[in-house]
Amino acid sequence: MSAGSIPSGDQIKDPGYPTASENYLTNSKGALSWLFTLDHKRIGVMYLIGVMTAFFAAGLLALLIRLHLFRPDGAVFTGPEANNWYNQVFTLHGAIMVFLFIIPSIPAALGNFLVPVMLGAKDVAFPRLNLSSFYLWVFGAIFFVGALMASGLDTGWTFYTPYSTTTDTSVILATSGAFILGFSSIFTGLNFIVTINTMRPPGMTWFRMPLFLWATYATSIIQVLATPVLGITLLLLIAERVMHIGIFDPEFNGDPVTFQHFFWFYSHPAVYIMILPAFGVISDLISVHSHKRIFGYRFIAYSSIAIALLGFLVWGHHMFTAGMGPMTTIIFSALTFTVSVPSAIKVFNWLATMYKGSISLTTPMCFAIAFIFLFTIGGLTGLHLGTLATDMHLHDTYFVVAHFHYVMVGGTLVSFLGALFHWWPKMFGKMYSETGGRLAAVIIFLGFNLTFLPQFVLGSRGMPRRYATYDPEFQTLHQISTIGTLLLGVGLLVALFVLLRSLVKGERAPANPWGGATLEWQCTSPPPFYNFERPPAVGDPYDFSDIFWDTENERYVTVEPDRKIAPAEQPEPAHAEGTH
Amino acid sequence: MSTIEAAAENAHDAHGHDHDHPSFLAHHFDTPEQQFDSGKLGIWLFLVTEILFFSGMFCAYAIFRMLRPDVFEGCSQFLNTKLGAINTGVLLFSSLTMAWAVRCSQVKQDRGLVAMLAATLSCAMIFLGVKAIEYSHKWEMGLLPAGLYFYDPANPHPESHTNYLFYICLPFMILLGGVVAWLVVSLATRNKFHVQCAMPLTVAAACFFVGIGLGMVLESGGSEHAADEYQAHATTELEQTAAIQLVSSGESEVLESLATESNTGIQSELSARQRQLENAGTAIVQEGDEIAGAIVSVEENVMTQRKAGVFFSIYYCMTGVHAIHILVGIGFLVWLLVRAVRQDFNPQYFGPVDYVGLYWHLVDLIWIYLFPLLYLIR
Amino acid sequence: MFVLGDAPAGDYAWFPENASTFAADNDWLFGMISIVCIIFFIPIAFALFYFALKYQKPKGAPAESDTSHNTPLELAWSIGPSFFLVGMFVFGAKAYLDHRTVPDGANEVGLQGFKWGWTFNYGGGVYNPELHILIDEPTKLSMRSSDVIHSVFVPAFRAKKDVVPGRYNYMWFKPTVATEKVSDAELQAAIEATKAAGGEWDHDRWQFTKDGYRFFDLYCTEYCGKNHSKMQTVVVVHETLEDLNAWIEKYSKRQEETNPVEYGETLYNQRGCKGCHSIDGSKRVGPSFQESFGNNRVFASGEAIVADENYIRESILYPKAKVVAGYQPVMPSYKGQLSDDDIYCLIEYLKTVSAHSGKTEGGENIEASSSEDALSDAETATE
Repeated sequence: MSAGSIPSGDQIKDPGYPTASENYLTNSKGALSWLFTLDHKRIGVMYLIGVMTAFFAAGLLALLIRLHLFRPDGAVFTGPEANNWYNQVFTLHGAIMVFLFIIPSIPAALGNFLVPVMLGAKDVAFPRLNLSSFYLWVFGAIFFVGALMASGLDTGWTFYTPYSTTTDTSVILATSGAFILGFSSIFTGLNFIVTINTMRPPGMTWFRMPLFLWATYATSIIQVLATPVLGITLLLLIAERVMHIGIFDPEFNGDPVTFQHFFWFYSHPAVYIMILPAFGVISDLISVHSHKRIFGYRFIAYSSIAIALLGFLVWGHHMFTAGMGPMTTIIFSALTFTVSVPSAIKVFNWLATMYKGSISLTTPMCFAIAFIFLFTIGGLTGLHLGTLATDMHLHDTYFVVAHFHYVMVGGTLVSFLGALFHWWPKMFGKMYSETGGRLAAVIIFLGFNLTFLPQFVLGSRGMPRRYATYDPEFQTLHQISTIGTLLLGVGLLVALFVLLRSLVKGERAPANPWGGATLEWQCTSPPPFYNFERPPAVGDPYDFSDIFWDTENERYVTVEPDRKIAPAEQPEPAHAEGTH
Repeated sequence: MSTIEAAAENAHDAHGHDHDHPSFLAHHFDTPEQQFDSGKLGIWLFLVTEILFFSGMFCAYAIFRMLRPDVFEGCSQFLNTKLGAINTGVLLFSSLTMAWAVRCSQVKQDRGLVAMLAATLSCAMIFLGVKAIEYSHKWEMGLLPAGLYFYDPANPHPESHTNYLFYICLPFMILLGGVVAWLVVSLATRNKFHVQCAMPLTVAAACFFVGIGLGMVLESGGSEHAADEYQAHATTELEQTAAIQLVSSGESEVLESLATESNTGIQSELSARQRQLENAGTAIVQEGDEIAGAIVSVEENVMTQRKAGVFFSIYYCMTGVHAIHILVGIGFLVWLLVRAVRQDFNPQYFGPVDYVGLYWHLVDLIWIYLFPLLYLIR
Repeated sequence: MFVLGDAPAGDYAWFPENASTFAADNDWLFGMISIVCIIFFIPIAFALFYFALKYQKPKGAPAESDTSHNTPLELAWSIGPSFFLVGMFVFGAKAYLDHRTVPDGANEVGLQGFKWGWTFNYGGGVYNPELHILIDEPTKLSMRSSDVIHSVFVPAFRAKKDVVPGRYNYMWFKPTVATEKVSDAELQAAIEATKAAGGEWDHDRWQFTKDGYRFFDLYCTEYCGKNHSKMQTVVVVHETLEDLNAWIEKYSKRQEETNPVEYGETLYNQRGCKGCHSIDGSKRVGPSFQESFGNNRVFASGEAIVADENYIRESILYPKAKVVAGYQPVMPSYKGQLSDDDIYCLIEYLKTVSAHSGKTEGGENIEASSSEDALSDAETATE
């Protein structure tokens, strides 16, 4: 249907544009109004700036790593301390990416902005706690910078004992930073669980929630349940360094493998903290840009929860070669395979959603397609690693590096970018250049594959990870990988440029630029600071039948036919529409 | 913050929302019930994270107890069951007063609420006082985490030790001095609100030294007879009055009394140590012993850095983190106390008291597990 | 993933050389998993791009279908792939149990990992940084670490195991391919070129050891600090037992060209002296070697002598005969474990570290220079 076919006589619903005093970006001015804001949207934006800064820093470190590996004996760092430099760079790359970027990227930055708006609430349940978790993130980041300034960090982001208890770099500063970031993560998760449980407006039943909210809910469960264990582990590690408590350090009768159990009990679920929100984002992106109802809503929703719970049972697969008993090892391998099922379900559901849809190849859709492609590779190569016999060969080689980069970068980063491009008009009220955005998506896709596909081969040929120098037979593949990194970097810069340019030169964004049916598209772009004047009428988040393209104004509008009756659930008397 | 909130308030007015938002209801909630439920769910989730936080240490305890049962048995002899028991009693009592405080806030008994919160605070302080005695004695003996461990069965009380008890007490003395000064100033200026706040806080701060006294008496005990216990109680009361008197006098006197007290503590420790030494099966290598035998007995001795150190590491980690939770709880209780004096709570809005109450019960509950695990199971 | 086809074994395509009994299992399983992955991946990728192009529509066009779910279909694709997973798990676990089940009668070699190198213990006092084993014979490594966690990885054998301080881990493998010996002429040329270049043997350049054997790489795969990437050594698989024994024999005693002091220091480091006797004067289980040779020794029995060659020899072979006052008689006898030449070398070494070896000034110098040697030795050993 085109513009002409908007049914006439029906009520066209479009919130129009916000005034400057309504717009959450401009309703109060001055740096302090941002620094002490309790508005979840502003906190989300501050998070966004923070995580992107962290990503930029860690990305530069990644570039250094790859450039160094251009030559077998190391191309960037030279001299007697070259290997130490390399070790510090890869450690900080990993630590910053994991703790400061990937974990807070979608849940904290985009989640903060989106959860209340998608839910139809005015704010998260605990706005002060929300602001404090942002400042905890900042403190955590300061500790990391402090570690960098003091004497660096060379333990790898995993802080394995006894290396971390004997090295003379600033392990205590960095682990304190990670400890603080853990609390930031716990508070965010706790806030979202409470918000989703208690702040839903009338009519927003559990199964009318957008899948992004389901994914956020599952993520929050992991954040609340797993992060405290990381907290105590890091605390014990600090105590081990300061007082030699002898729990992890074999020199004082401790057991280093116990540390690995403790650490991965958090850090494996943390992988799902990183990828689950990405699943939520992609579910929404695919459905909105295919203008078709999501296929198998309940399967996707339940599989998120299943992944969250199963994710707690598989930490042992990081330690297949560490010396666990054979029986334990085999059980962990079996459990590991079970996690792959819910992930596979989602991929099939997304494809089925695209089937016979009305697809617009917008920038977010390009990222979503790239995500499915890359995540499928990342997921399937996980099978090689979950299988015990092949893991004996592939463990701690570049195969593992490639596998988790396909999941973390090809999965989480690409979906983060897709989400950013999808909700950018809503967040800042500006449209970006579609051509530029699609170009960025294509370059990132190609650059990424060029970087990490060769690493699978490197790994199966036996190239161990975390090597500052390597044997000459691996050189060609390393060089291809490095060239890919440069391309990937260019793609990311293009994406950044497109987004920043839109802030200056972008057209004003309509309330609903993509034709989404979830609640955030029912308020203006950018949303007013109070989100919704009154609790919004909640419909099916994936019902696109009432949404039409208005060619004249280049926007989607919701046409509310007269037959539409009151929401299914009778609103509570306290905020019934009649009182207004 | 203020600008946003002001703007938010304006908006509500402008958009004519006619919910009557009482002052205690945050703008983003619709009803007090919603606010209370959110808070309640939030605090329960937080308690879950707390349990998981401690569970890491309980796991470490379980693993090492399984690996080295003999070490745990031998070392737990060095923990004074009496002090642990009295602390358990104090915490249980504080849970009662806390629950009572929640009840008071629900039925708008403001005076009762202040009294109950003050009682809870005092119990917390007594707990810390007793803990200070336990810690300082172990530090002096060198019963420390593996890396710092220097306990020597032949010479359990090295001469030139630091007076750890003094350093632990110092911040509390400053605290006590501070609240007393506050009380005096507010009495002088006849500021009723401040007097009402400072009075219970002074009592609570003084209770730390009650705990110190209690700890010393029990530490020096070794008394099986009821008569002795009676005497101990009497001494406690004396201590209590003494501590309160000390409040008004200067800090130097406090110091003096502490010094004499710690001497008796050390003497008693010596006798306790000898008993414990026998239990721990420690054999000092005698001259003329069979040499191979000596090596074996050295191996079997659990009171070595590598073995006992791990027990004391776990002991300090668990009780230390628990003590930090008590300190945090004290902070929250003080905040509640001030708000209670301000009469902030009413039957519609008593959430904060309820939440802190739940937190306090959890801290209590964790101690209920720590006490038998560390002190009793032998 | 999609480019990883069924790997042609042995020719350096996806895998290094196929050289142990594990390799065939691993490569077969890897190939099978890869094929399953491709069977899933190609249709997914095809559908992804095909749908994206086929169903691309102008804005506002409604979707052709509004299906919200299809439970049988969803159940099918949830349960269907599980059968493949069960297969992978079963085959993987079976082959893994092979890795963990050491056959009876496996040859045992001790391994110690340290920052940043390996020492293999062949028994009978033969220690060497290279691993030499016999073709078609299972070899078991008993592994321990003296500092942090390391991990032994031999890509050609498809075998890996962490070396964890505070516990013994073990691994085993049965090589199926021997590493042949290069011609003497080639070896000679390499040795001369190495001498000309400064004496450090470059395994990567020659692709054979300084004894002329080709080799398989052995890497450390658990990050262990600065020179983690240098913590490599070689695995040489001998064709015959005689050949292996000849090699072991060669390294069981001092090489003609090795200086006794240097060899003594190696023995000091490798044979366990280091654990109890310091060379810097600090007191460990036993007296420091700094106060040993040439010093007055007072014994537990009260008598005193000046430590000379004979005293040290006696202390090594019969440690309990004379015990220095203040120490326990805990040292084990090294009788039968050290040859006369070994003891001679140790004594020569002790002379250099002693503070009163009769040439005080010079002794200090020798000590300084020899410790530098030790450093460079340690570095070469890791190459």
